[in-house]
Amino acid sequence: MKPGIGTLAILGVAAVTAAVIGVMSVIILRAHQGAFIAQLTRSADQLSETIASTTHHDMLENRRDAVHREIVTIGRQQGIERVRLFNGTGTVMFSSDEAEIGRAVDKRAEACYACHAAGRPLERLSIHARSRIYRAADGHRVLGMIRPIANQPSCWSADCHAHSRGESVLGVLDVNLSLAEADRQIARDQRNLILLAVLAIAASSTLLWWLSRQLILRPVAMLIASTRRVAQGDLSTAVPATARHELGDLARAFNHMTSRLNEAQRQLAQADKLASVGRLAAGVAHEINNPLTGVLTYASFLEKRAEHDPETRADLGVIVRETKRCREIVRGLLDFARQTPPKRLPTDLNEVVRRARTIVTNQLALAHVGVELELAADLEPVPADANQIQQVVVNLLLNAADAMAGGDTPAGGSIRVRTSTVAVPPRGNATIRSATCPKGCDLLDSHVRLAGVPAIRVIRRAMDREAVVHLDPVYGRANHRASEACDEGVIAAYLCPACRARLEVPERHCGECGAPMFGVQVARFGPAEWCTRKGCPGSRWEALDAIGPQPYAQIEVEDAGRGITAEEMDRLFEPFFTTKGARGTGLGLAVTWGIVEGHDGSIAVESDPGHGTRFILHIPCQVPESAGPGAGAGRPIPMPDARGVVASGQAAPIATRAPAHPAEGTQDGSRGAP
Amino acid sequence: MRDRCDVLVVDDEPVVSDAIRLVLGHAGFEVMAVPDAETALAHPALDGCRLVICDLMLPGLSGFDALQTMRLRRPELPIVMTTGYATPEQEELVLTAGATAFLPKPFDASELLTLVRRVLSQASAAGEERKP
Repeated sequence: MKPGIGTLAILGVAAVTAAVIGVMSVIILRAHQGAFIAQLTRSADQLSETIASTTHHDMLENRRDAVHREIVTIGRQQGIERVRLFNGTGTVMFSSDEAEIGRAVDKRAEACYACHAAGRPLERLSIHARSRIYRAADGHRVLGMIRPIANQPSCWSADCHAHSRGESVLGVLDVNLSLAEADRQIARDQRNLILLAVLAIAASSTLLWWLSRQLILRPVAMLIASTRRVAQGDLSTAVPATARHELGDLARAFNHMTSRLNEAQRQLAQADKLASVGRLAAGVAHEINNPLTGVLTYASFLEKRAEHDPETRADLGVIVRETKRCREIVRGLLDFARQTPPKRLPTDLNEVVRRARTIVTNQLALAHVGVELELAADLEPVPADANQIQQVVVNLLLNAADAMAGGDTPAGGSIRVRTSTVAVPPRGNATIRSATCPKGCDLLDSHVRLAGVPAIRVIRRAMDREAVVHLDPVYGRANHRASEACDEGVIAAYLCPACRARLEVPERHCGECGAPMFGVQVARFGPAEWCTRKGCPGSRWEALDAIGPQPYAQIEVEDAGRGITAEEMDRLFEPFFTTKGARGTGLGLAVTWGIVEGHDGSIAVESDPGHGTRFILHIPCQVPESAGPGAGAGRPIPMPDARGVVASGQAAPIATRAPAHPAEGTQDGSRGAP
Repeated sequence: MRDRCDVLVVDDEPVVSDAIRLVLGHAGFEVMAVPDAETALAHPALDGCRLVICDLMLPGLSGFDALQTMRLRRPELPIVMTTGYATPEQEELVLTAGATAFLPKPFDASELLTLVRRVLSQASAAGEERKP
């Protein structure tokens, strides 16, 4: 196994600590030893001085016994190894070691070398030159100190006449002190220092091990585990990102990356599905349209020739009509694959609803389901593609009939279809489809869609922490998404992710809580603003408020079927999502979504599982100006990749695509400011 | 093999050729059908016919290539292109390439007959104009 970061760091720190403490110990021990020896040297010098002066008179009076006694007495004292006195020729005259008295010492012996190295004895030597350290026979160290005894007038004028006037050095006093005790002391210090060094290394390594485990190894292990999960395809994985240091940033960046990957993969899968349905539709269209041509041509030819046989003619009429329906189905499939923009002409939606009912009458009759129409007499024509809206209503009617006939529910009952004109206020409905910062950077993020439309990407900074926030582009709605959570009530700063310009609008305050507001520029519709306080629902879009509620044609399709569960709600408009098993293509509501979006309209669902479902369709009574909040002509129809539904039992007076499904990333708070 | 007809149909689906033959034949047109573009281009009837109805997706040489070759050989010949996979882009493409009309499949008898009559009357009107 390769050594980990922790092991390497511990080894490194241990090595450095050991080296530093080692060098320090050597320096300290050397200095300590030096001072110790210097002190002993001075003691030895003083001792030799004392001996020399003590024995001086005895020597003058030639009392050799006294000198001998004194030297032996001193030599026996503790710590003193040996005291001896040489004469000028190197013969030991007196010594505490009586065995060596009378023995001659070679001039090159360690005691003599210092003076005699230069060829002739030096008379004046420094204290260092006179001292020496050597090892005794039993191995312990000994400090030797010599003292040349200079000739003095009293010496050569003494009665004994032992010395002549011409001699300069009469002899040498050699004092030897044992260093055994000093060496023991030094060894003790050395042991203590080594022990301290080992303790310091162990303590720092333990601390480092613990720190690296807490701060590095654990977060890294979690990151590695998450990376492996991502590699295995689990993009919903997230790393706990509580740490405030760089690894916390890494974890947050990792989470951001996986959420973006997840989003991208979802969109890719969606695109892939659409591409395959496109290929499938093309293939199917080509293969089916040829036989359909045969059936349609022969049947219509025969229908014309059966002038005199009304019964046959009527039957052939059915074949022609149904074949044409097949033609429309195939065309619808192709339309879905291609997502053609609607051809908007003034259309009577009541007529569209009636035609849709006619188309499904037979099918509904089989399920014993009727259709009750409540059509508003004063419904003005709206700019719409009649065929596409008819397809939507047909889809909704067929779904309703299936819901009422399906399962254990006894077949029968009615579907109610109502048309009306409603005024839809901008708040909660109008969508921001262009957004720039004060310096002109585009803030729309087409990679992150909320309820099918691109979200607005900004940076939120609160308490020195930055988060990417995707603002809900629907005015007055607050299903914002943030890369990390923020405490409720905190007033945050908002920045442009590209140029980091501040987005706060000077002198503007939230109508709800009074906090400052930040905003984005919407092309031709002025600034749209939100409250900077987390959790506050305050928002303002004056241009739209000035325009006020806009008239929409509303079509409601209500059934008493089995209803839609919360799980199904989330995926309702997804292509290929079906609850009908093999009988469904999963395209009906996806096509419906695309068509409604293409008309700049909206679709909402309210459902009470077990009791019924209501689809509410809004088609604008006027074609919105291009690039406006409702988007414009020529805009590609957004893929129905985010679903908007109203949960069961929830009142939605003027419903639109309501709460976006809780998607990837942190769903930041409930409803309110980002 | 006859070498004269009013309408030459190029389609690899016999049911389509037969249907067109039935409807147009009953309306008094003489119809001949070939299954691919190569046969059509080599057919002597191509030089004498008044109208060609050609599918876009054919085995071998495509209907689009056939259209361009026929257009070069007979600049005034009405050519109706038909396909089972009709898109607005395709329609624009074949009309730009010289097709007289575009007829998406499936069509019914009267749609076919109306289109053929319209195309032929336009062609004859144009022919009249070219005559001094």
